[in-house]
Amino acid sequence: MSEASGRSPGDARRDAPAGSEVELAAALRSLAVRIEAARRLTPPAGAAILRSIVETTATLFGAEAASIALYDPATDRLVFEVAAGEQGQGVVGVSIGPTDGVAGYVYSTGQAIALSDVAADARFGRSTAERTGYVPRSLIAVPLADDDGVIGVLEVLDKRGDGGFDLRDLELAGAFARQATVAIRSGRIERDAASLLRAVIGAAGSSNGETDALVEAAIDGLDADPDDPVWALADQIARLRAADPAQLDLVRELLAVLVRRADRGGRGGRGRGARGQPAGR
Amino acid sequence: MSDSSTAPATTAVLPAWAEAFAAANRADLARVAPFTAVDRAWAFGAGDGAGVTVAVIDSGIDAAHPAVDGSIVESVRTELDGEETIVVADDPIDPVGHGTACAGIIHGLAPAASLISVRVLGPDNRGKGLAFAAGLRWAIERGASIVNLSLSSRSEALYATFHDLADRAYFANCLLVCAANNVAIASYPSLFAAVVSVAAHDVRDPATWFYNPRPPVEFGAYGLDVDVAWRDGGRIVATGNSFAAPHITGLAARIRAAHPTATPFEVKTILAATANAPVEA
Repeated sequence: MSEASGRSPGDARRDAPAGSEVELAAALRSLAVRIEAARRLTPPAGAAILRSIVETTATLFGAEAASIALYDPATDRLVFEVAAGEQGQGVVGVSIGPTDGVAGYVYSTGQAIALSDVAADARFGRSTAERTGYVPRSLIAVPLADDDGVIGVLEVLDKRGDGGFDLRDLELAGAFARQATVAIRSGRIERDAASLLRAVIGAAGSSNGETDALVEAAIDGLDADPDDPVWALADQIARLRAADPAQLDLVRELLAVLVRRADRGGRGGRGRGARGQPAGR
Repeated sequence: MSDSSTAPATTAVLPAWAEAFAAANRADLARVAPFTAVDRAWAFGAGDGAGVTVAVIDSGIDAAHPAVDGSIVESVRTELDGEETIVVADDPIDPVGHGTACAGIIHGLAPAASLISVRVLGPDNRGKGLAFAAGLRWAIERGASIVNLSLSSRSEALYATFHDLADRAYFANCLLVCAANNVAIASYPSLFAAVVSVAAHDVRDPATWFYNPRPPVEFGAYGLDVDVAWRDGGRIVATGNSFAAPHITGLAARIRAAHPTATPFEVKTILAATANAPVEA
């Protein structure tokens, strides 16, 4: 029974005091390692999707600019991630409190609003301009929301031509934002092992204090050694994404040879050879 | 039985709530009971909101803003106390401007009504649905005649809580006026039968409102390009369902002042009876 359950020797050592808490910690650690590997293997998917959404938004509404702010749970801030339109670029990288200003209101209430004559209000204009270097005449702000909640805010700035945004624009933006949210969620790998683990443990009913302690233990030192061969391998595989198919075939074959060698070495050349070999070439 | 009896209720719930009130669609608002015996002169009488207490659950109300002119009788906010959300006395402030916008609209229509500010957008983003629920519960228990909710919750976990609060308000003779949400996801309590749910119409006139015989969003009110009070004593031109709701709230305050014994159901009926003809004769 003892070590036959597929655990690594490291797990066995940590099992010394035995007990469900230790097992939980080991399981979490294993999960954290997998999340970190997945994170490294996945390109920064969000950026391309976000860019596509803001550019489509600006085109769809005939607007000068559009931007997306996403909520970052780690810092409890709304961060403007991307913008379309020359005018809109100044906002990229700006972060605000999750209830601050128009974007914060829309994020925290989920209620879509449109404002016009924004620049006419000197105070509003000044605080915005200080942050972004650009004061729109009119704007729409809608929540990026789906059934799982609000993840951020989509803003559309300055409709071209006469007149500001009307009700139909507002409702279209709301409907579009929902689609955008689905796209963002499906394209977004959990980049952060801590927040994923926290969510999982939180859902299991632990208090905040317990959750924090469990998460801290699970991710402790996870990323400490950048030269760890496992991470280096994951990083190299991630880079191979850009390779052409012929190169990929070559790499795959080379890896297959190395894996077979490692397999034989790891098992001391015993037993499995008879069944394992025919699968090779 | 017809198809409508077997289709899930949600298939009838479209996000573009204001669409029903758009000029092109208003012919569909014709209703079975025209209530010709009830007119606006009777409904409002000399009602200016005197004796009516209206709670505004929002981002706070700036009591110093000229648009609310001494109408604020109490300001509270929600805050987290450990795992509990509690309601505490607050300065009469509004860091966003949205709550002041709503209060200014209500005060403009019902200048003698007493307003209570319930600020539910705190600096802490955690548990915002809980803060909203706690603020609503407090307003009902405080004995508000009308509660204006230009925001809603989409937390499935709080569905039952808000359902209970909507019923509790109805039975406590407290009318909840809620802005519909334009994003295609459930939002509470704006979709419950016990509340008055409001979207914006496309007529730039505060004295125009429409009744929609097809719930959940039964009223269309002025919410397009509304000149509203904003933060720091300023004003802004705003569009959205959240500016339509306070117009219905202001009208309801006048009805309750003229007819103090009218129940929430009767106030809703009077609002329907006095609504504009959907299509000009």
